[in-house]
Amino acid sequence: MLLEKYPKEVKQILSKYPPEHKRSAVMPLLYLAQREEGYVNKAAMQDIAQLLDVTETEVASIVGFYTLYHDEKAGKYRMQVCTDLPCALRGADEFLNNLCANLGVKVGETTEDGLVTIESVMCLAACDKAPMFQTQGPDGIKYHENMTVDRTMELIEALKKVKE
Amino acid sequence: MSKQVTLTIDGKQITVPDGTLVADAAKLAGIDIPVFCHHPKLEPVGMCRMCLVEIGRPMFDRATGQIVMENGQPKIQFMPKLETACTNPVSEGMVVLTQTAKAKEGQKGTVEFLLTSHPLDCPICDKGGECPLQNLTMEHGPGKSRFIYDEKLHLDKQVPLGELIWLDRERCIQCARCIRFQDEIAGEAVLGFDERGRNTQIVSLSDPGFDSVFSGNTTDICPVGALTTADFRFGARPWELKAQASICTQCPVGCNTTLNTRREAKAGGDIVIKRVMPRQNEEVNEIWLCDKGRFAHHYVGSKKRLARPQIRKDEKLARASWDAATKLAAENFSASKKDFVILASGRLANEDLFNLKSLADHAGGRAILYSDMGGGDLTALVGVGAGTNLGKLGEGDAILVVASDLYEEAPIWYLRVKQAADRGAALIVANPRETKLDKFAKFSIRYSYGDEVKAVNDFGKKSKISDEFAKAKNAIVFFGSEGLGLNGTSAVASACADLLKETGHIGRASNGLIGVWQRANDQGAWEVGLQPEEDLAKALKGKAVYIVGTDPVGDDPKLAKALEGAEFVAVQDILETATTEIADVVLPAQAFSEREGTFTSGERRVQRFYAAVPPTGDSKPDFVITSMIAKQMNIVLEGTSVSVVFDILANSIEAFTDLSYAKLAEVRPQWPIVGRGDVYYGGTTYENKHGLGVQLVPAAQVGGTVRIPKVKKEAVLRPKEKELLAVPVNKLYDRGVTVSPAELLDERVGEATVSLHPEAAERLGVEAGARVKISFDGVSGEAVVKIDDTISAGVALVPRSMGIAIKEPVAAKVK
Ligand code: SF4
Ligand code: SF4
Ligand code: FES
Ligand code: FES
Repeated sequence: MLLEKYPKEVKQILSKYPPEHKRSAVMPLLYLAQREEGYVNKAAMQDIAQLLDVTETEVASIVGFYTLYHDEKAGKYRMQVCTDLPCALRGADEFLNNLCANLGVKVGETTEDGLVTIESVMCLAACDKAPMFQTQGPDGIKYHENMTVDRTMELIEALKKVKE
Repeated sequence: MSKQVTLTIDGKQITVPDGTLVADAAKLAGIDIPVFCHHPKLEPVGMCRMCLVEIGRPMFDRATGQIVMENGQPKIQFMPKLETACTNPVSEGMVVLTQTAKAKEGQKGTVEFLLTSHPLDCPICDKGGECPLQNLTMEHGPGKSRFIYDEKLHLDKQVPLGELIWLDRERCIQCARCIRFQDEIAGEAVLGFDERGRNTQIVSLSDPGFDSVFSGNTTDICPVGALTTADFRFGARPWELKAQASICTQCPVGCNTTLNTRREAKAGGDIVIKRVMPRQNEEVNEIWLCDKGRFAHHYVGSKKRLARPQIRKDEKLARASWDAATKLAAENFSASKKDFVILASGRLANEDLFNLKSLADHAGGRAILYSDMGGGDLTALVGVGAGTNLGKLGEGDAILVVASDLYEEAPIWYLRVKQAADRGAALIVANPRETKLDKFAKFSIRYSYGDEVKAVNDFGKKSKISDEFAKAKNAIVFFGSEGLGLNGTSAVASACADLLKETGHIGRASNGLIGVWQRANDQGAWEVGLQPEEDLAKALKGKAVYIVGTDPVGDDPKLAKALEGAEFVAVQDILETATTEIADVVLPAQAFSEREGTFTSGERRVQRFYAAVPPTGDSKPDFVITSMIAKQMNIVLEGTSVSVVFDILANSIEAFTDLSYAKLAEVRPQWPIVGRGDVYYGGTTYENKHGLGVQLVPAAQVGGTVRIPKVKKEAVLRPKEKELLAVPVNKLYDRGVTVSPAELLDERVGEATVSLHPEAAERLGVEAGARVKISFDGVSGEAVVKIDDTISAGVALVPRSMGIAIKEPVAAKVK
């Protein structure tokens, strides 16, 4: 249970919102729930729904909408390539396909060593610098703009060397 | 009256209330602006962009604040871009253009975009033929697409959202009407969007899936074939269906329905009901239905339908002629004189009940209403005034719900009461346990089972709640039978009537008392003079009994026993039941869908239903059978024309004076406008062309002094040690004979349950899901334990009609 695991944090988050608008606490609570395993599991969604008096479906909708929440376990790094319209016009699809081919994975899959998961996402607000992606990992969220497959492979090599 | 605004749409001038949206104003002017996400019952969101139009407003001089004139006319300034008609409210002098090249291009573009991801599998789509997307594409689409036709996003096509509703993911156009209906109207946000952009998909994570008794409505307002009911899916093409106006028979709300029928090879060429659809009545069900009303209809086509009269010969029931069967019944009834008892239920129409009552009166017998609920005399006295419309209650009004779980007992009332609370009405829910309505209540009152009358009487004392109720402009009280039997409900009804009288909330529209009856026409039965009986077993024992439209043997072992000792039993019903099995004579009746008649709803609205399918076998309408028996007893009762029976009824029962079939069939314009060619606007709900019904005028509204009879409530039962107080509660999907034939609902009906407080469960050493035996007073049965921490530790909640015969609170052993 989220409340039992992080009683202090949950209370602190809830205290920021007036009780009649407690549903607004859904975003910070989701971050909290995602902290340990990098994704929000079903039990945590149920917890949050109960805490905030909303339905589990509503919580899941938020997780589904934002690229920063995840409902499935992934590799150490998530590599989220924007394939929305402006990026697509600048070759994002081709970039993504080639990258996948190079890594031997499909979109949504994780490399064998468990290092990166490739995802395709909606606009990340860097349309003019496509192809672009963001990485989410232990070091937080980082933007990588005007990318090529070669430079991406170099980045992955570098990530391999990062020690915990 | 609210402020009015005048604007011009396509050169047509129209005046509408301030705040009206352009799309709705156009509809009022008879101009169709295409919409997908907009729905007149939902808040505007502007998500689909289908309704793009040109909007101009009078130009104001910034310096003077005056309207700028040009050639003697206000100068109109158009926005540079197209605007959505569904999000823009009207304003004075507005000019809207829906047919210009620019507007048309916008609309065309939106259709073109929507179709880039749509499978266009219309030939196998249930919506084909009544599909907004199909229609609007024909009317506003570009004809050809600039996109690559075979490059479409493919998604799952057969996704059960629960066992009642199926989703086709690639047909969804992401208008969110279904999500918004569940959130805004039903108050159960069990649908949501997952993901984003083209991948956006409808999901439901509730358990069971799509956990709402209003789920079917989303299939009516979904503008494509993305949502379909398990009941109608692949059932028929819309254009093959005939439509006939009817009334739902599942609860006292009396929702207006349309029965869609067609001839079917599977049924040996018979005409069968394919689906039940809502029919608009803004004062009753608006454009909605609950899932019980929509899906439970299968009982009328059940294999267990009685088709021929039968007479018991050598212990066995054997086929007989109508003449022989009615004659045998008549002879026995005549011979028994005062010992002739009629037991009839509120499943019957007003005309049937009236003929039965007349027969009892003429023959010197008694007619008893089969019900555990009293207070129908009081609803006739101080019931809601004629002109009541729950849809008009709001700020400054109050609604009190006592001993009833409206969500389970009368879902559309739950929905309407919830919406009244949304509009600002003070909702007070008084119930021993938490119900779904509590979430929307301004005040929740929790009393212990047994303290119902006290809880109502406490309104006499000064408190914040009683003040709010007393000073309300309008106040309505709903009373039900949660935890109460006949005596208890009678006492609660009388306490509620008193409260209403004391606070001046009777004798006017939107004020008064409503009974949450167990059957659709219980109110009608009370109106024609039938009343329930406290000791039914005693009343039946040794008598010649005429049982109509009910199954006492199947319901209650005590009644089964009493009927074993009856002189003679004639059973008239539509279905084979445990009671027909013990009958001396069985008389097959027609279902409501096979004949005409009227019901009186809990709000005392008399409404007509019409014949939609031909009768089963040789069955006849109940009132006809009764008149045939009467004739053999030398009693003359009308038995040919149902409307003549109604005329006689209207002549002899004061509240019905001046009513006639013609009056009940009258209609008035309603808003929103639905059910015409424009399915994209309001959905596939039917327009009401067959009558809005007429509300009876309660005695209190006629004038004169109102005297409310006091009912003494029997002392509260105190169970002994090691016993629990078993109390009856009501469940929507129960095992009643008019539900069980609908196999689709099996999962929601589930098993018999018993709800216990965690402490009680611990004391008994059982956990949730455990199977226990519950026994009291000659009755016993198995049930699955449910835990409810909102009840007290001394009670065990037992749902009615789930196999354990419970009529009223009783001390019980649970093992
Ligand atoms: S399922 Fe139907 S109602 Fe729901 S969002 Fe999709 S198209 Fe709209
Ligand atoms: S609310 Fe009652 S009358 Fe209306 S559809 Fe449901 S069961 Fe039928
Ligand atoms: S479309 Fe890719 S960042 Fe905006
Ligand atoms: S945006 Fe107006 S109808 Fe959808």
